[in-house]
Amino acid sequence: MNNIALGRYIPGDSFLHKMDSRIKIIGLIIFFVAVFLTYGSVAQNFIMYGIFFLTFLIFIKIARLSFSSVLKSLKTLWVMMIFLLIINTFAIKTGDLAFVINGYEVYWDGIVRTCYIIIRLMLMIMLTTLLTSTSKPLDLTFGLEWLLGPLKLLKVPVHIFAMTISLALRFIPTLMEEANKIMRAQSSRGVDFKEGKLKDKFKAIISLIIPLFVSSFLRSGELADAMETRGYDPNGKRTKYRRKYWKSKETFQVIGCFVLLSVFILLAVYQPDFIALVQGLF
Amino acid sequence: MSIKLTDVSYTYSQKTPFAFEALKHVSLNIKDHSFLALIGETGSGKSTLVQHLNGLLLPTSGEVQINNYILSIENGKRKYIDITKVQKKKYRKKQFDIRDLRKYAGLVFQFPEYQLFEETVLKDISFGPKNFGATDEEAEKMAKEAIQLVGLDETYLSRSPFELSGGEKRRVAIAGIIALNPSVLILDEPTAGLDPQGEREMMELFKNIYDSGKSIILVTHNMDIVLKYVEEVIVMKDGQLLAQTTPLKLFQDEKFLVNTAIEPPFVFKVAKELMDNGLKIELESIKDIPSLVKEIKRVEHE
Repeated sequence: MNNIALGRYIPGDSFLHKMDSRIKIIGLIIFFVAVFLTYGSVAQNFIMYGIFFLTFLIFIKIARLSFSSVLKSLKTLWVMMIFLLIINTFAIKTGDLAFVINGYEVYWDGIVRTCYIIIRLMLMIMLTTLLTSTSKPLDLTFGLEWLLGPLKLLKVPVHIFAMTISLALRFIPTLMEEANKIMRAQSSRGVDFKEGKLKDKFKAIISLIIPLFVSSFLRSGELADAMETRGYDPNGKRTKYRRKYWKSKETFQVIGCFVLLSVFILLAVYQPDFIALVQGLF
Repeated sequence: MSIKLTDVSYTYSQKTPFAFEALKHVSLNIKDHSFLALIGETGSGKSTLVQHLNGLLLPTSGEVQINNYILSIENGKRKYIDITKVQKKKYRKKQFDIRDLRKYAGLVFQFPEYQLFEETVLKDISFGPKNFGATDEEAEKMAKEAIQLVGLDETYLSRSPFELSGGEKRRVAIAGIIALNPSVLILDEPTAGLDPQGEREMMELFKNIYDSGKSIILVTHNMDIVLKYVEEVIVMKDGQLLAQTTPLKLFQDEKFLVNTAIEPPFVFKVAKELMDNGLKIELESIKDIPSLVKEIKRVEHE
């Protein structure tokens, strides 16, 4: 339970920590787009994924995070990976036949596509972890609110969304702590969360979930009251205590992001045979 | 048959930027059949310490021995060793099941009412015993005994724990641990948030359990409780053990009290003032207001 790194801010003063959260979010979205584009042949796709992974490693180095702590965020993913692998290998029946297990035909296309999805998911989660571990939750919500700003014109209650998100983010560590506490309390009553039969495990989970639900409902009610006593009005206009200014540095960074995006899109649209290009150089 | 901590240190979130050393080289001995209080400021490591006593936390370095169970970490691996098995030598496995320890030393967390989850009080109290291998009938019997021990009657057994009042929930949660019949009962601030009446009843309950031959270890901020019930006090500060002494000695050591910002109970201060002004009462016999009155009367008659 302690090793869920996703969503936890790790203090630091690197370039990435200091970067405006709005730009980090824009950059993240651009990376997401880039990760989901296809760049021609299978080999070319894998080369691009390799490049993304390298960029990601460089970012980690810049942010002075430990690679293992980010990898930990992938731990929860592997069940989904196996699930995808099974579904995909049996559902996709195009391309060349790879091998046959007990009469089931597995095709190369299925395997390759599973690899794509898994790599994409991994990259997405790792990049998101990078974002959340270098930005304070409050900065993140500020960034989101700002980016969703144009929706205000359509009468979308943007800052209610932002408030909801920031509260949710704020309470992740609290809930984790609560879950930890309840787990320890139930362990004192002989619950074994790690081992045991499936039925016992089911019971163990129930003994955790129910108290957790009860206390989160209680907590949310108390929080709502506390906010109201301090005059919170969801429809009121709010001001900021810390104001963020958009400087020329930010403009350049955003332009940089969009240049990158256009490069990726051009690569995806024209799909140049860059393996041949590189070979041609030598 | 005692609890022994040898040079125990514990660091939370080790090897991360959040690393925090909560216990620093704590060594202590708690003899069998003790009524002991752990006191100290918030964040002094009391709660961390009590979680070592039933193996919920393992020392980062050092060794914890509870009765015949020894817990430590060696080369990053948890090590549970049962001495009786080592001594007999006929057991090839000297390891023990951590649950044996959890049954031996029952730990009640702060605000235990949050751990209730079953549909009925009976089910919730018998949840623990069942986990430790009791049959349905045995568990029900234990639950019935436990609910009476905590001062509620059997009509509560069929009710939902969520419809009870805060104090009743607390009792039910404590009954859930008492039903395990632990030899050492450890309680983290069991009286926090209770009214004076509830507090007194709760403490009388622990006293009864103590009198039946069990050990009680409690974390508390309430010095009146320390004076009235407890036989031994451990004072913690910043993860270190400052003193292990009796309440009487603790409350008389004025220099120590100032340094640790411990406020002696009001009745104790009054008694001391009376003594300083010439009344020949004995401090040992003063536990609360009735005992002070009794002592004054005794001195008057002499």
